[in-house]
Amino acid sequence: MIMGMKIKVAPEEEVKKRPSFIKPWMSLKYLFKKPVTIKIPYEPTQIAENYRGFHTLNWKTCIGCNMCGQICPARAIEMTWIEGEKRPHPKVDYGRCTFCQFCVDVCPTNALGFVSNYMLTTVWKDEELELFDWVPLPEEKVKKFTDYRHPLAKIEKLEDGKVRYVLRDGETVEFKILGYGLKPPKLQQKKEEKKA
Amino acid sequence: MVSQSELVKEARENGMELLPLDKDTYELFFGPQHMATENFSIILKMDGHRVVKAIANPGFLHRGFEKLAEFRPWYTNIALLLRICVPEPDVPEAIYSMAVDELMGWEVPERAQWIRTVVLEMARVSSYLFWTMGLGFKLGVYTAGQWAAAYRERLMALFEELTGARVYHIYTIPGGVRRDIPSDKWLRQLKDTVEYIKDKLKDFDNVLFENYITHRRMEGIGVMDKKFALDEGVTGPNLRATGVAADVRKLDPYLFYPELDFEIPVLKEGDALARALVRRFELEQDLYILEQLLEMGPPSGAYKVQDPRLKALPRFKVPAGEAYAHVEATMGDFGAYVVSDGGSKPYRVQIRGPSIAHGIRVLEQLLVGARIADVPVILMSLGNCPPDIDR
Repeated sequence: MIMGMKIKVAPEEEVKKRPSFIKPWMSLKYLFKKPVTIKIPYEPTQIAENYRGFHTLNWKTCIGCNMCGQICPARAIEMTWIEGEKRPHPKVDYGRCTFCQFCVDVCPTNALGFVSNYMLTTVWKDEELELFDWVPLPEEKVKKFTDYRHPLAKIEKLEDGKVRYVLRDGETVEFKILGYGLKPPKLQQKKEEKKA
Repeated sequence: MVSQSELVKEARENGMELLPLDKDTYELFFGPQHMATENFSIILKMDGHRVVKAIANPGFLHRGFEKLAEFRPWYTNIALLLRICVPEPDVPEAIYSMAVDELMGWEVPERAQWIRTVVLEMARVSSYLFWTMGLGFKLGVYTAGQWAAAYRERLMALFEELTGARVYHIYTIPGGVRRDIPSDKWLRQLKDTVEYIKDKLKDFDNVLFENYITHRRMEGIGVMDKKFALDEGVTGPNLRATGVAADVRKLDPYLFYPELDFEIPVLKEGDALARALVRRFELEQDLYILEQLLEMGPPSGAYKVQDPRLKALPRFKVPAGEAYAHVEATMGDFGAYVVSDGGSKPYRVQIRGPSIAHGIRVLEQLLVGARIADVPVILMSLGNCPPDIDR
């Protein structure tokens, strides 16, 4: 009216519909056609190749810059110090993660990635809920499971901070968590001692 | 037995208000569990089966998006703000991105604009199908509802391939879009889907929109006149059903819309049936727009702005200023007002949702005198979106 294009109004006869008694019965023809639904879980669903699912992390190229932790809208990423690794690695909490994958976009060395596995369902066990708070494993270990479920079967907590990830095919990954946060845990301890 | 006055007194002591009703009227809590209301509640004062007074009772979905947006980096807000509109989450993404583009002074590449237009139109189609599903369920025409859900599934699969998610796409970002079109196969699939849904529109007409029952149920209920609608700030199909030819895509064209040819449906009745028929015609027009866009083909070039500032996204800063961008959503005029003070987080993000205009005061007015069975139908014909009211 004030600016913009000239408005093209549709003729009223085209917009309006006439009520009919007989026409609704035409839908009966669909009784003789195949249903469009899929019987889950007996029939598999097809997920797109680039579906945003669980993370993967290449531990060799991760430089621990915490860009992923800064961009995360849900604050699901916490940096974790692991024995034998020079830099911290992100730990992703799927209780908070929104699967926006901005962390993957900002990763400067492309260490973080994602696979199309997405299933967050458990069988109502508390131990299973712990699985969804993990340091992502390299792509080849996550990608070999093609049933869209989380790759871990169990997280075993051993003595003095050691953790053992048991994958669903029996493979294990063992490492020691030294601490969380941006600064190395040893420096943190020293600072605390100084303060004391 | 406790007398009524004692009950009122006791309620008042506990900080509650118990409204005394006379012996002919009673109070009915409609929602938030009722399927028709979608987490929205109405307190109805009923006389028999007629509504005497309706009080909208929103707030069940309040999550404080606008305040939360002030504490997150610019890009991250996309993952938050799209939750304002569940049936078409691409609209809040698009308006926020357009406002930030304006603040940055970016010229968005043509390819990105084309993809944004396609995504917005796909969102409109899927939202109208979702609405058709709701209308079918509320009228008891479950067949049409199930069809709409099944056809929407095809669009969801396309969205999944393009964006990587089914409902919350998080796809449109300031400066363009996040991913390029996957392949030519995707464009062909979209074309097939558009043709498929276009074929099926005849079935929807037969079962739902030309059904005798639909006309009997929806004719003459929830009548809104032109002056009332304009005074209350109603936009979108609800305003068009009262006889005003207004559409943001025509009045304030954005993206690729100036190059597209489409018609605006306008009806004068202003009742629930007119609103439904306007939406039905728009669904057809949106499919027609998608066809035109596909015929045009995606322009070549980048799908994202090339800017060195985008390398450090968490510390990405937007120059101080303010911008407003709005698009035509299926519910009406959806706008975002973004203010920046030059920092790495927005100073203020205000969303102008269409549902707040027709979801509270207008709804309360339209429900007066309606039968209890018509309440869900009127609610559905307005196309209410409760998360957008509560925010």
